[in-house]
Amino acid sequence: MAKVVIAQKILAANDSIAVDIRQSLATRNIHTINIMSSPGAGKTTLLERTIERLHGQLDIGVIDGDIETSVDAERILAVGGETVQINTRGACHLEAHMIRDALDHLVLAPGGLLFIENIGNLVCPAHWNLGEDIRVVMVCTTEGDDKPAKYPQMFASSQVMIINKIDLQPYVDYDVAKVKQQALAVNPHLRIFEMSCRTGSGLDTWCEWLVTFARGTA
Amino acid sequence: MHELAIAQSIIDAVGEKAAMCNATRIKSVRLLIGEACGIFIDSLTFSFEMLASFDPMLDGARLLIDEVPHRAHCRHCNGVFAVASFVTQCPACQIWDTEIISGDELQILEMEIETEPSSSPLDDPETVAHEQQSTGGKNIHG
Repeated sequence: MAKVVIAQKILAANDSIAVDIRQSLATRNIHTINIMSSPGAGKTTLLERTIERLHGQLDIGVIDGDIETSVDAERILAVGGETVQINTRGACHLEAHMIRDALDHLVLAPGGLLFIENIGNLVCPAHWNLGEDIRVVMVCTTEGDDKPAKYPQMFASSQVMIINKIDLQPYVDYDVAKVKQQALAVNPHLRIFEMSCRTGSGLDTWCEWLVTFARGTA
Repeated sequence: MHELAIAQSIIDAVGEKAAMCNATRIKSVRLLIGEACGIFIDSLTFSFEMLASFDPMLDGARLLIDEVPHRAHCRHCNGVFAVASFVTQCPACQIWDTEIISGDELQILEMEIETEPSSSPLDDPETVAHEQQSTGGKNIHG
């Protein structure tokens, strides 16, 4: 019996593809955001409103990950975004090879912005590097206000947190200050946006930041 | 559920390495898993054993896991402390100017293999890999 030293990261194969994706997008000056949340927090609605507001200002492409259906991609197409739908057929997260293959079917303008809408799940997507520049985690006032404490790895590995459905706060027992405190406890550098994708409040600030991010100055 | 995909990544990586080493059987695989990686060890072991059972070379292989605690260093007091629930505030000085020093490891360290009696047990797997590539011998699954 012989011992063989391996000394490699378990997800080395995924990470290597992610590095290729990042380099390929960087050469075209495309910035990439991996957006993650529980199901129903409002990721697709955020992308719809963002594409509408930044029309003519920023070219936006979307890779839409869902277990089944092309409903989300159809919504993005309806507001004029470029999109490719990935159906994982049961898998709970996107992996880098799926993004590499999807990019073959997506027309992206140089200098534009690419969103990767991950599977609705606050656990598994945190493990897989997709070649993104930043990670955005979205929570909303209609879910429990303990998500950052319950799923700390997701919040620790993100750079931005969005609190959505802020218009519903008067009707629900959701403590925004507590959520922020929990999130900053696991990640003191987290940038936080509060918004309502339904009423539009907070979207101007978000879009202004996105434009600076896409220009590489955020 | 991510443990299943991680187990598959382990199987792929050791299978590729075993082929390069002309192994006939993988007896065990040793991992380094950090506390902050969010891996449920029982679930990973279960997934690994299940996937290994489909591969004659890996069937019955043991998964050995070295766990690494989540720890951080405080830049203010220079102390090292255990990170609980991902909160990286220094318990001594209550400040946040800290850096993670361990706990995010997710590595395959080594494996124990059996080789054909004719092939000499070499200590350096890189040498084995190089020789196999140069002779064109690779696939030992068939």
